[in-house]
Amino acid sequence: MEARDSLSSINGDFGFAGATDRRFAFSRQSSFQQPHTPIDIPAHGHHHHLYWSALDDKPSALRRTSSLSSFGFSVFRNVRSGHRYMKRLFLMISLNVAYSTAELLIGLFTGRVGLVSDAVHLTFGCGLLTFSLFVMAASRKKADREYTYGYKRLEVLSAFTNALFLLFMSFSLAVEALHAFIQDESEHKHYLIVSAVTNLFVNLIGVWFFRNYARINLAYRNAEDMNHHSVFLHVLADSIRSAGLILASWLLSIGVQNAEVLCLGLVSVAVFMLVLPLFRASGGILLQMAPPSIPTTAFNKCLRQISALEDVVEVSQARFWELVPGHVVGSLTLQVKKGTNDRPILEFVHGLYHDLGVQDLTVQTDEA
Amino acid sequence: MEAQSSQHSQVIEISGDSPDGGRKICGEAPCGFADAGSISKDSEERSTSMRKLLMAVILCVIFMTVEVVGGIKANSLAILTDAAHLLSDVAAFAISLFSLWAAGWEATPRQSYGFFRIEILGALVSIQLIWLLAGILVYEAIDRIIAGPKNVDGFLMFLVSAFGLAVNIIMALLLGHDHGHGHGHGHDSHGHGHGHGHGHSHDSHGHSHGISVSTHHDAKHTKDEHHHTHDDHEHHHDEKHEHTHDDQEHHHAHKEVTEPLLGESKDGTKKRKQWNINVQGAYLHVLGDSIQSVGVMIGGAVIWYEPRWQIVDLICTLIFSVIVLVTTINMLRNILEVLMESTPREIDATKLERGLLDMEDVVAVHELHIWAITVGKVLLACHVKIRREADADMVLDKVIDYIKRVYNISHVTIQIER
Repeated sequence: MEARDSLSSINGDFGFAGATDRRFAFSRQSSFQQPHTPIDIPAHGHHHHLYWSALDDKPSALRRTSSLSSFGFSVFRNVRSGHRYMKRLFLMISLNVAYSTAELLIGLFTGRVGLVSDAVHLTFGCGLLTFSLFVMAASRKKADREYTYGYKRLEVLSAFTNALFLLFMSFSLAVEALHAFIQDESEHKHYLIVSAVTNLFVNLIGVWFFRNYARINLAYRNAEDMNHHSVFLHVLADSIRSAGLILASWLLSIGVQNAEVLCLGLVSVAVFMLVLPLFRASGGILLQMAPPSIPTTAFNKCLRQISALEDVVEVSQARFWELVPGHVVGSLTLQVKKGTNDRPILEFVHGLYHDLGVQDLTVQTDEA
Repeated sequence: MEAQSSQHSQVIEISGDSPDGGRKICGEAPCGFADAGSISKDSEERSTSMRKLLMAVILCVIFMTVEVVGGIKANSLAILTDAAHLLSDVAAFAISLFSLWAAGWEATPRQSYGFFRIEILGALVSIQLIWLLAGILVYEAIDRIIAGPKNVDGFLMFLVSAFGLAVNIIMALLLGHDHGHGHGHGHDSHGHGHGHGHGHSHDSHGHSHGISVSTHHDAKHTKDEHHHTHDDHEHHHDEKHEHTHDDQEHHHAHKEVTEPLLGESKDGTKKRKQWNINVQGAYLHVLGDSIQSVGVMIGGAVIWYEPRWQIVDLICTLIFSVIVLVTTINMLRNILEVLMESTPREIDATKLERGLLDMEDVVAVHELHIWAITVGKVLLACHVKIRREADADMVLDKVIDYIKRVYNISHVTIQIER
């Protein structure tokens, strides 16, 4: 542990070059089921984004205002400059909008309620995807006076909102299945086949775009992962729903009883199981839970090591939370004997937790 | 000192008898987040809110059963739809109740700050529900237009929504009863005044090392000391206990509570402005429902009067849905700010930093982070660089005292560097 390194680490300014490769290819990585101890520790406040948006130099006088026009501009700029996932998301949203407008108009003109309801449902989903797109742009803003930790949390929020929406969808599908079971009517499904097929096609494009995130249990390395994963799950759930509707129609046409109930029930359960891990992970971060990637035993070991120092009387109030996946913040209180030089102790503590992956640590030393 | 992290204990704490740790380090069990003094205040507020919500839920369920029975008897889809709407109300209240209850859970090693954030997440889910319902209502209005004028009975629509409006108004009154009283000085002043006093006696008991806040409670203190040690988690139990005191003591306590209240007046006024976010969410839900009921009533009346003016119904529903969404924006903003770990609005970070820099011995302040775990509970962490020859412990004391006194932030972690 060099002195210079620890000096800068005390000031919270880790001099890492941030040499993480932005282009994850999850399919090339090994299994994700194991608890993930972070190897790369991105520097505090360091952006590994190659493309900056104009939002970064917004004057701080614009307190807490987010203008839609600047969002629109930044989206276009980013889309043109080529942030991969933003481009793809933008394309998907445009496709969805085009498709649902067409469906709405056709439904209104021909008077088919099913098409209109499908278009409305699609618009909900579109709105959510637009929110995800907005978050992708907005989360690049640098930290300022009011948001001292920056805007990265927005990605986690967007992931949580997506997950919540998918849970609602699963619940409403279950209600629909129940409704079909009670009422036993199935006439309005057959003319929705065309719309379901188109829907499936559009969503499968989305699944292909985000295929790098094609896992249910993902180890999230940074904030964008959660957001992208939530978008993937969204389109996947939509395609499963469309596939379910198509299957139900076909089964009905060949005379299977209660096909609708079965298919809708299956889809509902499938979507629920799909989305639960993301919901729990993003919910955990929002709840200020201790980072799941660092086991409690590691924390305990650190505490033991610190209290084993001869000058340390007591360690208390060790709290850790994750700002976004990969960025752990913590605080600690030490009681030391009177007259000890706290500098080496501070360096030691900071180094200890830095190895664990805690980037921001505040250590309060009280004299006994 | 051995490190013991018991599974039930809150924070990963190394136990030890710190003779003078009272102010800076909470060694006590309930200090999962706040200091012990506010725990009782919390539980007071929480149990009142829970009672209100419980009453609202029960009322809602009663009305819903009435509507379901009536709808089945009259074979009307409209009434059943409104019953489903009431079901969504029950769901929203259930979410708020759950959040309120869960927020009182003790902290665990994985959840070192306790479960206060559940309040915020529950409120977020509530608001999403409101938005979802507004969307569904708009969809239904569109549905009505497409279905054609013959199928819609304007009179029935009007009646059902009027009934829904009445129910919602009753619940709004129920929930919003304390609006502006924060911790209920108006209506259950006894319970709260008492609870407040008890909060303080608890405080002095919990931090038995040297802080005696309530000198006037000594007589009662010895008597109920025993009860309060293990009544920590049983909020209701606490309340019941208070109410069994005889009248004499009531007056006694009532007179004396003015003292701590004066000392805490700053905190008191703050509390009055922020009522529990979950109750606020439930209130907003009910308010939104009333607004929409008004909209549907107008639509129903219009259709009843002139079945060809269907478009008015849609316009009305759209307008009122937008109004409902606008009412949720304020609360949504609060929720978002907390979830984004931003500096709470009531604290001016620049002034705080300048105040710290104004102190002698302080050279620089960096990495200042002020954030809230839930509305009203604020934490602060920063690194303070001091002059080489300064006494670190004294500066630490001064800084912590300044922050606690002026900004009322009790959970502070300061790293002193030279």
